[in-house]
Amino acid sequence: MKILIIEDEKTLSDAIVEYLDGKGHLCEVVYTFEEAVEKIELYQYDCMVVDINLPDGSGLDLIRLLKKRSITVGIIVVSARNSLDNRIEGLEIGADHYLTKPFHLAELNAHLKSIHRRISFNGSNELILNEIKLIPDEHRAFVLDQELVLTKKEYELLLFFISNKNKIITKAGLAEHLWGDHMDAADSYDFIYTHIKNLRRELLKKGCKDYIKTIYGLGYKFDIT
Amino acid sequence: MRLLTKTTLNLLSISLFIYLFGVIAFYYSLRYQVDNNVNKEMEKRKNSIVRQMEEAHSSVSQPPSRNEMVIITPVDGAGSTDRYADTFIFNKEEKRYQLFRQLGFRETVNKQQYDIRIFKSLEETDNLIVSIIMTMTILVILLIITLLIVNRYSSRLVWKVFYDTVGKINRYDLNTHEEFALQDSDVKEFADLNRVLRTMTERIKNDYLNLKEYTENASHEIQTPLAIINSKLELLLQSGVMNEKQYKALADAYEASIRLSKYNSTLILLAKIENKQFPESKMVSPEAILTTLLENLDDLIRSKKLEVIRQITPNCTVQMNPYLAEMLIVNLVKNAVRHNVKGGKLVIEVGESFLQISNTGPDLPLDKNLLFKRFYKSSSSPESLGLGLAIVQKICALYGFEVSYQFREQMHCLKICYRNEA
Repeated sequence: MKILIIEDEKTLSDAIVEYLDGKGHLCEVVYTFEEAVEKIELYQYDCMVVDINLPDGSGLDLIRLLKKRSITVGIIVVSARNSLDNRIEGLEIGADHYLTKPFHLAELNAHLKSIHRRISFNGSNELILNEIKLIPDEHRAFVLDQELVLTKKEYELLLFFISNKNKIITKAGLAEHLWGDHMDAADSYDFIYTHIKNLRRELLKKGCKDYIKTIYGLGYKFDIT
Repeated sequence: MRLLTKTTLNLLSISLFIYLFGVIAFYYSLRYQVDNNVNKEMEKRKNSIVRQMEEAHSSVSQPPSRNEMVIITPVDGAGSTDRYADTFIFNKEEKRYQLFRQLGFRETVNKQQYDIRIFKSLEETDNLIVSIIMTMTILVILLIITLLIVNRYSSRLVWKVFYDTVGKINRYDLNTHEEFALQDSDVKEFADLNRVLRTMTERIKNDYLNLKEYTENASHEIQTPLAIINSKLELLLQSGVMNEKQYKALADAYEASIRLSKYNSTLILLAKIENKQFPESKMVSPEAILTTLLENLDDLIRSKKLEVIRQITPNCTVQMNPYLAEMLIVNLVKNAVRHNVKGGKLVIEVGESFLQISNTGPDLPLDKNLLFKRFYKSSSSPESLGLGLAIVQKICALYGFEVSYQFREQMHCLKICYRNEA
């Protein structure tokens, strides 16, 4: 997947690239509005990560420009502004997701993956990883063609793990993905543990290898290596 | 008291005062003039009487007049100067006293001394004076009334700009971004007032915008470095070259930075509420918010084995900003869940005009004064930010809701009344 990252904070965009790279993505980074416009004119991207506050313009204007030219591209807005207006505006003019800084890289990656699935298979796709098969549209998961009995949260957990396979996922990142702002991180760690325990048991029961590794005190890793 | 009423009253009392003195002074001056005139007439009369007496040898033909009387009495002794006086004389026909002016003098005619007194009625002139004063009074009253009416009318016109200004100030809202357009006035004072107001609002607006910008910038400036810290830490985690101890340190740093960013965004939210930066308002259903929230908190509630009792009157709404409504309810419920005990109760009541969340918890009432303070934490939950109820209170203050805390029947009750007037 070809991704354009428009983020004026160089260190942050570097971190994003580093996290995404080596996953079959082709990342390009620009730091200003002007550069972004130039890139959009010249090349085609599957997905864009847009910061709203750019030194020479607004990321929202960039999205409007894309929509005006009818360029189909997945858009994830990242912004330091956690105001509802901005969020609504961003989503209304055609962004797919709105992440507030600071965000977890795993979260960004999961969103990118879901956009990728949507645009590459028109949504009706299957996600296959070794013996695991997911049908994201129907929220169903299979192991060796046997359907897993999962709660909504457990399913989300599995999808999140698969999107970020081989990466250490922090508990805070998991908590935010599963519950958003509604639960404070510290409160949720016990439930994460419970959900993971259930998910692992279900996977093992259906004959799946034990991919979920606990990294003590830190988080988890969906290790398929 | 309105300025117009005040000035009118002042004007009225002063003019009445002046008029009273004026009338008295006028009366006396008129009286003086009239007396003078009568005196002169009587002087002439005196001469004519003396002449007549000299010619007719002491027989004076008196003209038959009820206005005039001449009494001549022969006396002994030396003559004296003229004596003027006012006197009352009984009128037999009309049976009443009448005011007369009298001139008494002595005259020697044919070696005989006479005391001659001429009386002249002042009735007519008196009547004249009275009618003059009456006419004057009526004129003055008419004048004052006309002045008052004209003054009222012109004041209305003049003060129109002022009232317009007052109305506009009253309705002025920094958040609406409306132009503060005041009417121009040709009255210098009002023009000055409007000019001063314009500069003032301009300055306030600029200060406000600066402050707003500052909050936004602060948010941006702090969140971006935090985002960098977080993402770099996350990357570091992936490197896989660290031992457990190092991982632990990294995890702690990561969590601390996440907490820092939560603090930051919560404080910015508080500032925004204080700055009234949530002008949008519509009918919000607490029920809908609660339903989604309880779904989200399901894990937490189930893990604490809480019994959730909902007493929700259907179709209740409250007029407020939807985001703030959510923040309000989320914070209340989260608070009630977090400080609950295992197997405890959570009672949520929603009525037409109130929202009450009660929960079991430590068997000690909390300090009402500290409860809503920022960063006040009960010792049981060191992980909480201590800002939840501060947000609740700020939102309530913004909308004029009444928030109260009670400890009864082992339950901590937080009640928010949002329709005081109804």
